[in-house]
Amino acid sequence: MTKQQPLKTIPERFVVRPATLWFDRFMNYFITVGGLSIIIAVSLIFVFILLQVLPLFRGARVEPQGTFRVPGDDYVVMGTDEWSELPFFVNRRGELIFVDTVDPGGPDHRPPFTQTPAWLDEVEVSVVAYNAFRSQLLYGTSDGRFATVDVQYEATFPERGGREVSVQLRETPLMRISPAEVPVQRLAYGNSGNQAIVAAMQQVHDRYELHAVSLVQQRTLLGDGELSVDRSYDLSEHLDGKPEHLLVPSDADGVLIGMDDGRVSYLHFDGHEFHKRQMFVPFRDLDDRRIVSMDFLLGDVSLVFTASCGANRIFSLYRDPQRDARVWGHTKTFPDLERGASFYSAAMRNKAFLIGGGHIASLRYATTESVRWEEALPFWITHAALGPRYDRMLFLDDQYTLHCYRLNDPHPQAAWRTFFGRIQYEGQSAPEFAWQSTGGRDDFERKLSLVPLILGTLKGTFYAMIFALPIALLAAIYTSQFLRPEMKRFVKPVMEIMASLPSVVLGFLAALWLAPIISNAVPSVLLAMGAIIVAALVVGYLWGLLPQRIRVQLKPGYEFLAFVPVMLLVAYAGWQLGFVAERHWFVVEDPSTGLQIADFRLWFPYATGLGFEQRNAFVVGFVMGFAVIPIIFTITEDALSNVPEAFRSGSLALGASRWQTAIRIVLPTASAGIFSAIMIGLGRAVGETMIVVMATGNTPVTEFNPFTGMRTLSANIAVELPEAPYLGTLYRTLFLGALVLFLMTFLVNTVAEILRQRLREKYRAVE
Amino acid sequence: MGTDANRRAPEDIVCKDADSRRSTRPRGETFVWVTAMGLTVGLTMIVFLLGLVVVNGFGVFWPRSVALIEFREDRGTRFQGGTKALGVITIEQERDVRDLSLEQRASLHAADRREKQLFLGNRDAFGQAFAFFPAGDIRSVTYPDDVIRAERLEWGDALFFPVRLEMEDGSVIQADDPTFNSLLLKRVDDVAARRAQIHQIERYEIGRINLQMHQLEQEERFYSRQDELTAQQRSDRAAVARRMDQLRAQYQPLADQAARLRSKQHQDTFVYRLVTGDERSMSVGQIVHYYYPNRLTLVGRAQIFAGQLWRFLSGFPREANTEGGIFPAIFGTFVMTLMMSVAVMPFGVMAAIYLREYARQGLFVRAVRIAINNLAGVPSIVFGIFGLGFFVYFVGGGIDRMFFDRALPTPTFGTGGILWASLTLALMTVPVVIVATEEALAAVPRGVREGSLACGASKWQTIRYLVLPASAPGIMTGLVLAMARGAGEVAPLMLVGVVALAPNLPLDSVFPFIHLERKFMHLGFHIYDLGFQSPDSEAAKPMVFATTLVLILLVVVLNLVAILVRNHLRKKFTADKF
Repeated sequence: MTKQQPLKTIPERFVVRPATLWFDRFMNYFITVGGLSIIIAVSLIFVFILLQVLPLFRGARVEPQGTFRVPGDDYVVMGTDEWSELPFFVNRRGELIFVDTVDPGGPDHRPPFTQTPAWLDEVEVSVVAYNAFRSQLLYGTSDGRFATVDVQYEATFPERGGREVSVQLRETPLMRISPAEVPVQRLAYGNSGNQAIVAAMQQVHDRYELHAVSLVQQRTLLGDGELSVDRSYDLSEHLDGKPEHLLVPSDADGVLIGMDDGRVSYLHFDGHEFHKRQMFVPFRDLDDRRIVSMDFLLGDVSLVFTASCGANRIFSLYRDPQRDARVWGHTKTFPDLERGASFYSAAMRNKAFLIGGGHIASLRYATTESVRWEEALPFWITHAALGPRYDRMLFLDDQYTLHCYRLNDPHPQAAWRTFFGRIQYEGQSAPEFAWQSTGGRDDFERKLSLVPLILGTLKGTFYAMIFALPIALLAAIYTSQFLRPEMKRFVKPVMEIMASLPSVVLGFLAALWLAPIISNAVPSVLLAMGAIIVAALVVGYLWGLLPQRIRVQLKPGYEFLAFVPVMLLVAYAGWQLGFVAERHWFVVEDPSTGLQIADFRLWFPYATGLGFEQRNAFVVGFVMGFAVIPIIFTITEDALSNVPEAFRSGSLALGASRWQTAIRIVLPTASAGIFSAIMIGLGRAVGETMIVVMATGNTPVTEFNPFTGMRTLSANIAVELPEAPYLGTLYRTLFLGALVLFLMTFLVNTVAEILRQRLREKYRAVE
Repeated sequence: MGTDANRRAPEDIVCKDADSRRSTRPRGETFVWVTAMGLTVGLTMIVFLLGLVVVNGFGVFWPRSVALIEFREDRGTRFQGGTKALGVITIEQERDVRDLSLEQRASLHAADRREKQLFLGNRDAFGQAFAFFPAGDIRSVTYPDDVIRAERLEWGDALFFPVRLEMEDGSVIQADDPTFNSLLLKRVDDVAARRAQIHQIERYEIGRINLQMHQLEQEERFYSRQDELTAQQRSDRAAVARRMDQLRAQYQPLADQAARLRSKQHQDTFVYRLVTGDERSMSVGQIVHYYYPNRLTLVGRAQIFAGQLWRFLSGFPREANTEGGIFPAIFGTFVMTLMMSVAVMPFGVMAAIYLREYARQGLFVRAVRIAINNLAGVPSIVFGIFGLGFFVYFVGGGIDRMFFDRALPTPTFGTGGILWASLTLALMTVPVVIVATEEALAAVPRGVREGSLACGASKWQTIRYLVLPASAPGIMTGLVLAMARGAGEVAPLMLVGVVALAPNLPLDSVFPFIHLERKFMHLGFHIYDLGFQSPDSEAAKPMVFATTLVLILLVVVLNLVAILVRNHLRKKFTADKF
């Protein structure tokens, strides 16, 4: 405050207390900051959800971690433990050399050490194969015998913290694969727990022979006993060339033989006999059809091939509808590598694989056909291994240096295609949109397409709208244009109370009360609905024909009450008629007994080939009407009532009837408001959660059949989020679903809101 | 658009009405009836739905007569091998005969087309609580005078004929003894009183000790995980152990007392006879409440009705929520809604005051207004997923790491709880409050503000002493609407802290009295859980209807209050106009 001077001219009672001014300034500041920050905080919802989603679209990050010396030798196999801390290499003699990659130079660091199977001194090893999924080596000897060796890693957690990985070999005795005592050249093994087979290729003089044995395991009370040979099979008749690759899936239900001319034979084993099921050429369209590498992906139902030109394809096992048998078919194509692969390693928790040759290493993801990471490394790679936890990559170069790389790729499956594109999943004969986030097995391929959920959302919205829209609009027109004002005071609150009904209540009534009734009486429900509409038209027409002295008995604006008895009567008639109709028209013949059965629930699938479920879109649409009708009604009614009274008076004064006034003057004027009401109703239907969760089967579908359920985006979040691991791919995918939902409703609502505001300004100009 | 229509309209009317000028009938009356149908259908839907819930909800508590049904000997229908069944006739309906072929259907007699559903009770004896019987097979329906319907602690209700009461002192009172009823009533009252005592001891006194022990255990676990303890920590650890011993010492006598009371519950045995003739017995402690349904007068029925309703509203759930009361759910809903209101009110009002009174009206404010309006239309599940990601995992996880690291990895705030649920719903309803408050502020006439400012009041004084009081009812309307929306919402709560059965209430007598991190029960989720997660949804249906009725009453009353306040306001402000 300026001091002494004003005091003389202004009496003291007019002087503002400094505290008041100070407080006013403070509140000015406080409310501005507070108000703005609340608005910002609210809009941060969008930002936060976006931030949860963005990491999905980040690629793999790879960074070098260190190098280690490996004793020089001629290695044929490389493998590693779960934590990629103690990898091993197998040389031609069959010895395992382990290399410790933890804490180099530290006190606990172990120098490279060797372990061997017990019988190694007595035999000459001719081939070693490695199954990384089972952490199991397969030895073949020069005298035609084989054995498996389990590399059993064990982690202990000592008191001082950290982890100590130790290793132990557990080998089976050597078993004879074939009568011929010649070196085994290729060897493969599969064991499903119920059955196990080993296949081996040998060269007897100039002829290639293929033998297989099935193994049995003695089960004792003390656990699994020794494996022993059960039966032998000579499969040489199926060979008509030089076999290069030999694989047996872990289910032990067949043998795959890759020939040197690029053909692959698939022999199926039914537990007793081998049958040749399929012969295919993966690179039929290329000049050089030869297969350089052929390996399984996690789950052993997909084969990764490379050709000498570097082409990289995946063939998967799926049911061929024509042959009614599971055969291999081309499902994925990847960008070419520089050359055929010289190393391959599949991930053990997803469908990724590490492949390459020479300097190039490429990490690829099978489901999405995407290259997660590819780089020319500054060394010549001879062997590579992808850490079983999908967190590390190990490369051995030609100078016997082991290179460790840290791999950070938390969401390898996430890609635009995964969420919005068609994908041919393993075991399926065609690309499709599918959502199935969990499965019973570890090697399950997640299906994360949002398309069925978006379609489900649209389906639910569609059926809700075709039911709610006519009722809401007609009711709003009647209420604003024809209803007596004193009735309006009572009608509007009733409709508003309808808007406040909790959706969990509606969902409960829909699922446990309405769904059984409707599904028992579909023809009756449809007939009753149709009958009410027809009755309205007929009663209206007949009323118009009545002489005026009768018509004046009913005051205008009370028609809706007069219609109540008519409606109840007609609805009851339609309901009863429905059963009659069902008995006559919806008749199917029971194929087993030949009896005629009249039941719409059976007739509908029989006649249309579509499904029929008790909790279906029809029920959901009907009940969601309770949520949508009042919203559309209220906003439409407001828009219509706000049309300036002068318009109506003018029209009526010119001799137009009340209907003509309503439909030609009021309705067009308020059309923007009505449109915005529809949009807001749409937004509510799109986001409705509990009704859908409760009143549908929550099966993701991509069809618009009214008598099956669906899964909507919102229901999907409610159902799956409690089970989704924090920050996992599913968690973030659900956030993506929420983002889509957010954007859908936000867009629809914004359009509606802008229209409404414009309309309001227009009225203001008229008034 | 409007002007276009105006321009076109006259020509249309002229050419179309040229020939109808002779008629006195107004055009389009038919379609007026069609629009009337829209309103009729809409109103019927809502009235019917409310009626359905009210009838079914209250019907649960209304004591209905118990019928003794005898089957015709010549027909095949038997119940448990006998020709009699005892139960409450719940439904009489047409049989669903569609699995029969058309010929079979035609040969059915009229009586065989109908069936009666009976509530049998005695789930422990019969394995099922409901059964359908074809009406054609029923010979007679009588209402025997001496049937008792008893609500039991386990296995739901039982319907039976009383036989005798065997007291602990060895005396036996037969059912036809005139003092039988008064004696049984007294015994049932006694066990009820003891049950309340046990409940008090176990839930509150032992519960408090358990809670403290749990906290001490967490401390102890923290110390045992440390490599080395400082001297201070060692003495703390010893103190924890001492405190633990103290608690154990307090615990034992309470547990003994509860066990003593519990054993008293089983002193007297009640023997009853089922309709099949089997005699069974149970301890009187099993009976919660009983009555003779076929002896009741209307007043008696009303009394039973009130008693059952009260036990439902004030009791705790039993038998996986399918029996007993819903008090924790009502209480949880109430506390959550209250906390939500406390959070939403200041923020919503402040944002609205800023938008209406302080911000310069322009494009920015318009955009913000549109955005806020839209936010009210964003699906609730989106707020739920945000609440889980932000409040629970991000904020809650952070609080756990900072203040509750001793309890980790068991989360304290890093899991759903009543605080996060309230905040999530507050965020969801803040647009509702902002919009309503803004409307209320805008409705205060400009002259009021100008007059105040002209008198020398500061801007804040004007708002504080004139604008806010004038718009208070409008703001309250917004808040009540927000409460109604919050109370009825379930989807977001499922993600941020609601559970089907919470062991403790979020408010109790144990320090710090309000337990913000606790999970809670909610009426809406109770409906979902009962109707969809319980093994026998048919048996749970009455409970669901009753719970639904409570929830709907709550929400509808809140809404009615809002509507009434608003209607009252409208009148007041129209009167303000000159």
